[in-house]
Amino acid sequence: MLTPDLIRLLLPALIGLPVLAALVLRLVDGSRARMAALVLSITHFVLTLAIVASGMLDVQTDPNVSSSIDRFKKKAEQIFAPQFVPGDPLPGGKNSYSTTYDIIAFHGTNAEGERVKLGAAQFFIGLDGLNIWLVCLASFMLVPVVLYSWDSIRDREGAYYSWLFFLQAGVLGVFLSFDILLFYVCFELTLVPLLFLIGGWGTGPSRRDASRKLFLFTLAGGLITLIGIAGIVLFVYTQSGNGNQPRELTFSIPRLADLVQANLSQSTSESTRELWRSTQVYLFLALAIGFAVKVPIVPLHSWQPGAYTEAPTGVTVMLSALLAKMGTFGLVRICLPLCPDATLSVGMPLLGVLGIIGILYGGFCAFAQTDLRKLLAYSSISHLGLSVLAIMAFSAGGIAGSVLHMVNHGLSTGAMFLLVGMLIRRYGSAQISDYSGVWSRLPILTGFLLFVSLASVGLPGLNNFVSEVLMLGGVLEARNSNISSIAFTILAALGIFLSAWYTMTMLRRVFFGPEKLPHTTEPVKDLTPRERFAVAPIAILCLLLGVMSQPLLDVMKRDVVRLSQVGDEARVRAK
Amino acid sequence: MLDAHEQLLAVPLLPLIGALLCAVFGAVKELRSWSHVPAVVCAALSCVCAISVVAQLNQATLPVTFPHIDADRIIWFGVDAQTSRLMVEFGLSADHLGGMMLLGVTFIGFWIVVFSIGYMKGSPGFARYFAVVSLFLASMNLLILADNMILMFAGWEGVGLCSYLLVGYWHHKHSAAAAARKAFLVTRLGDVGLILGILLLWFMTSQEGFEYSRFFKDVPGLASSYPVLFPLSCLLIVLGAVGKSAQFPLYVWLPDAMEGPTPVSALIHAATMVTAGVYLLARCTPLLLAVPGVQLTIAIIGAFTALLAAFIALTQHDLKRVLAYSTVSQIGFMFLAVGCAGPALPKIAVVAAIFHLFTHAFFKAVLFLSSGSVMHAMHDVIDMREFSGLRKVLPVTHIAFLCGALALAGIPLFSGFWSKDMVLEAALEAGHSERFGTIYLILFGIALTTALMTAFYTFRAYFRTFWGPLRMPHGAHPHETWVMNLPLIVLAIGAVLVGIAVEPFTHWFSGFLSKAPFLASTPTPEHHLNWPLILGSSAVALLGLAVAYFMYVKSPSTVDKAARSVGRVYSYSLNKLYVDEIFKVLFVQPMNLLAGICSLADAVVSDLTRLVASIPRGIAVTIKPLQNGLVQFYALSMVLFVAAFIGLLVLFAK
Repeated sequence: MLTPDLIRLLLPALIGLPVLAALVLRLVDGSRARMAALVLSITHFVLTLAIVASGMLDVQTDPNVSSSIDRFKKKAEQIFAPQFVPGDPLPGGKNSYSTTYDIIAFHGTNAEGERVKLGAAQFFIGLDGLNIWLVCLASFMLVPVVLYSWDSIRDREGAYYSWLFFLQAGVLGVFLSFDILLFYVCFELTLVPLLFLIGGWGTGPSRRDASRKLFLFTLAGGLITLIGIAGIVLFVYTQSGNGNQPRELTFSIPRLADLVQANLSQSTSESTRELWRSTQVYLFLALAIGFAVKVPIVPLHSWQPGAYTEAPTGVTVMLSALLAKMGTFGLVRICLPLCPDATLSVGMPLLGVLGIIGILYGGFCAFAQTDLRKLLAYSSISHLGLSVLAIMAFSAGGIAGSVLHMVNHGLSTGAMFLLVGMLIRRYGSAQISDYSGVWSRLPILTGFLLFVSLASVGLPGLNNFVSEVLMLGGVLEARNSNISSIAFTILAALGIFLSAWYTMTMLRRVFFGPEKLPHTTEPVKDLTPRERFAVAPIAILCLLLGVMSQPLLDVMKRDVVRLSQVGDEARVRAK
Repeated sequence: MLDAHEQLLAVPLLPLIGALLCAVFGAVKELRSWSHVPAVVCAALSCVCAISVVAQLNQATLPVTFPHIDADRIIWFGVDAQTSRLMVEFGLSADHLGGMMLLGVTFIGFWIVVFSIGYMKGSPGFARYFAVVSLFLASMNLLILADNMILMFAGWEGVGLCSYLLVGYWHHKHSAAAAARKAFLVTRLGDVGLILGILLLWFMTSQEGFEYSRFFKDVPGLASSYPVLFPLSCLLIVLGAVGKSAQFPLYVWLPDAMEGPTPVSALIHAATMVTAGVYLLARCTPLLLAVPGVQLTIAIIGAFTALLAAFIALTQHDLKRVLAYSTVSQIGFMFLAVGCAGPALPKIAVVAAIFHLFTHAFFKAVLFLSSGSVMHAMHDVIDMREFSGLRKVLPVTHIAFLCGALALAGIPLFSGFWSKDMVLEAALEAGHSERFGTIYLILFGIALTTALMTAFYTFRAYFRTFWGPLRMPHGAHPHETWVMNLPLIVLAIGAVLVGIAVEPFTHWFSGFLSKAPFLASTPTPEHHLNWPLILGSSAVALLGLAVAYFMYVKSPSTVDKAARSVGRVYSYSLNKLYVDEIFKVLFVQPMNLLAGICSLADAVVSDLTRLVASIPRGIAVTIKPLQNGLVQFYALSMVLFVAAFIGLLVLFAK
């Protein structure tokens, strides 16, 4: 067990190690690069496990933060309580939920004309209930990706793995950061390795086109989000200085959230409250667009099927399992606490409806696909549509279910893409019509794929069922007067049928029926031991999380409940 | 020894362990041919535990629970916020209804597993078969014992999965693959309704938990405060039951599901899983009593399905399909009985449904197993046009089938007679009620007609298979082995005796079931024998038998004549009323079309973005020639523009 001080010391290593690995891997090539990548990714996972296992309890039961708020005390409350923040000014392992590690400091002059520090963008990272499991996922998923790429990537391995680690560092940065600028920088930085990976090692003929599309979409969305971020920081800065308090220029997400909350519900003047409330709508829309592109939410999804198909399979797994979650996570971490009223008034009617459209539209599109990877790409749109809807519901069940679903969906979709990649490599085709009766020839691969497909369609006992029930329950208790939560739930539940529909149809076409020989000349063999090692842990996790997900939910409970209370207060204001 | 609570846990847990062991056995080459052992042993032990639990229930009035009522609850998953409680617990509870179901499932399940040893011998995937069957028993027991509806749903989906895997057991066959997918998807349609119904109930009961007891606490209050939502949630639950129990319009998957190995048809698609819907409705009686309209809907669906399926069964040539349609029809009877609770006393209606479920499980299992024995002997041919006169070569099978057929047809004194009589009595009783009385009387008439048809098609199948001259398809090698005969004999005895032993004279069954908490508080009926009804239904059954005897034994030439004289009706029945085709046009094709449209729309969206992206490039392309690098051109254009500018200034300057 690591002590809290040690965890605090080690936490930057979660981002630092992949960056270091990326640099080291630049220097080696060939089989040594593969080996080094495997060792480094496993090391990183072990480190993450050690940190999470010893820090889990602190996240769950921080004595300084109660999970309930006292509405009558009108005391500024801690919405986010990041633990193990490196550079915490309080001595002796206590938590002040802030850091002293400045990256860029901003200075100004005070009334006396002296130069003073106004605020700073900081290296502010920490663990809390919302990000802890996503950090685990981001650390874990690289191992199967490296194992998968072992055979499939046979040129410039060093550079390939180096970019993969760089990508992982960016994703971890997004999940860990509590500074809004740091969050944004990491969010955008992931684009660079992606472009090189898809452009350099992509499999399809139109990979340049796909990567350009990805670049333009995410960059355009990201820039609008940057405007939103600048907007919220400057708005808080300009508005915070009333009364005898000094103006506050802060980039810290917890601080911003608390200030927003305090001004919304405790400000004495009606006009101030009104101003804060009306500004949110624009800020919400600006902030949400970048995240919506990343998820992606229909109709901003048209970069996604191309990118998923053209990218090398390992990168597709990273894209679907991790990068898509940066979008949904951004909604939870930034949009909900900073624009709570707008989430209810605009988020649910707009993004919620788009989420439902995504569930149905993605499901139907998935059914019509003739390409295996495209089918999975659209199924991802469908599944994440439910996730977005549940986040917008702004209820405890919805947030918990959605955060859990990010992990669950990452596991099951990641495994699906891996297995489909293995299948395509053997048969030399991604067209469903080129397959039939794979079961007879590849029973082990079939077994694994059947298993993760069942997880993905939400079979009870496997992981996705848990999060889907939580999300549907969360949508049902949305208590949002702008929409009919019952109609929303019924429409969203149709996704349960649709996912079974396209998945079972795909399984029937590919795995059942009389055997069809592949076009390739070499004999088709079942999974190699390395490939089994790549997918078996994911399959085991799917089962474990389906049976025992309560430990995960317990850890995230405090933060989920606290965030949902922000929603409850917004509901009171909306009346 | 285990105490009652642990025994209760053991009932679903043992088959689960069995499934894991079977899978392990299958992975090891030397053990592969022994992989039936864990399944058989665990099924037997689970049955013993179930019997012991029921024995304790016989004396008690309170349900047996796991964990113990004073012990801490086990949480499966959930979030407990101040405003709502979305908590799913792992709790098992056996009341008298659950106990009775458990007894049937584990007992019949055990014998069918034994039968499978002989039937599946030498087939590829021997271990897979027993692993999945064992998993099925575990899920079914969980479905029955769960004390909250999400856990019940877990079992519900689990049995659906096993059904999918077993229908598609011969995965290289197109028909099996199609049938497996169809079974999964059609039932899944109902499952969406079920989970929505559960969530809506949770929502209405102030979002506390999913236990049945919480849902049942204040039903009248619910019904009055949610006049639309409450009936809607009940209807959604009924939708789930309709899907799983293969009722109209979602019955279409069951006949196709006969692609699976025959013991599976006996276990899953006749005796246990398909009756889960009836169990669920019986379990939800406290809710349904508050919504008479929904009850009437259930009764109508049941009676209509019973008639429809019996009509189709009249002309089918595939022996297993006759039995499959007859299963659909018999479950229709159970639905009719459940739907009568309210107008008729619940202690009559619900007990009738469960009693029919119980006897049906025995006689339908024996019918399927003996048809499996026929199929085994006839080299996988099951078309009744290919064989006849088998009573001489398959004596044990013949007797077993006869016992089952007598029970199914409702011939007096056999088990099916007593339970069908109770269903009819419930319908008749409901017919005397004020509200909807006439409708229930019509339903009673339909049920009586169906009983006549049942007796006819059952004995049509029996006479065509076992009577007449001995004919067999090529490659047939009729034989019987003890491992298949023993289950046949046991279940045949059950089919004959289980009805008369437990109910008509002792009233043990209804007495036991009435102790279930949700029935205990309802009024108790007087036990009496309704002689006109008994005589009437006996006459109907004997008439059906006699007609079949006349047509298929006495003068077989009349069959063609009869078929020709009702030509169109005959072809409707033979072609299953074209329901599959209607479904294709109404449901499958629009879905496919919608998928095509969406995919097309997506291509358009994708191209639109391309178009938007090409605007900057287009502009660049148009103005690119201007930058041709010729200094003279730049100078000229500069001079021209300056001239134009000055000209504008001169013209418009004041």
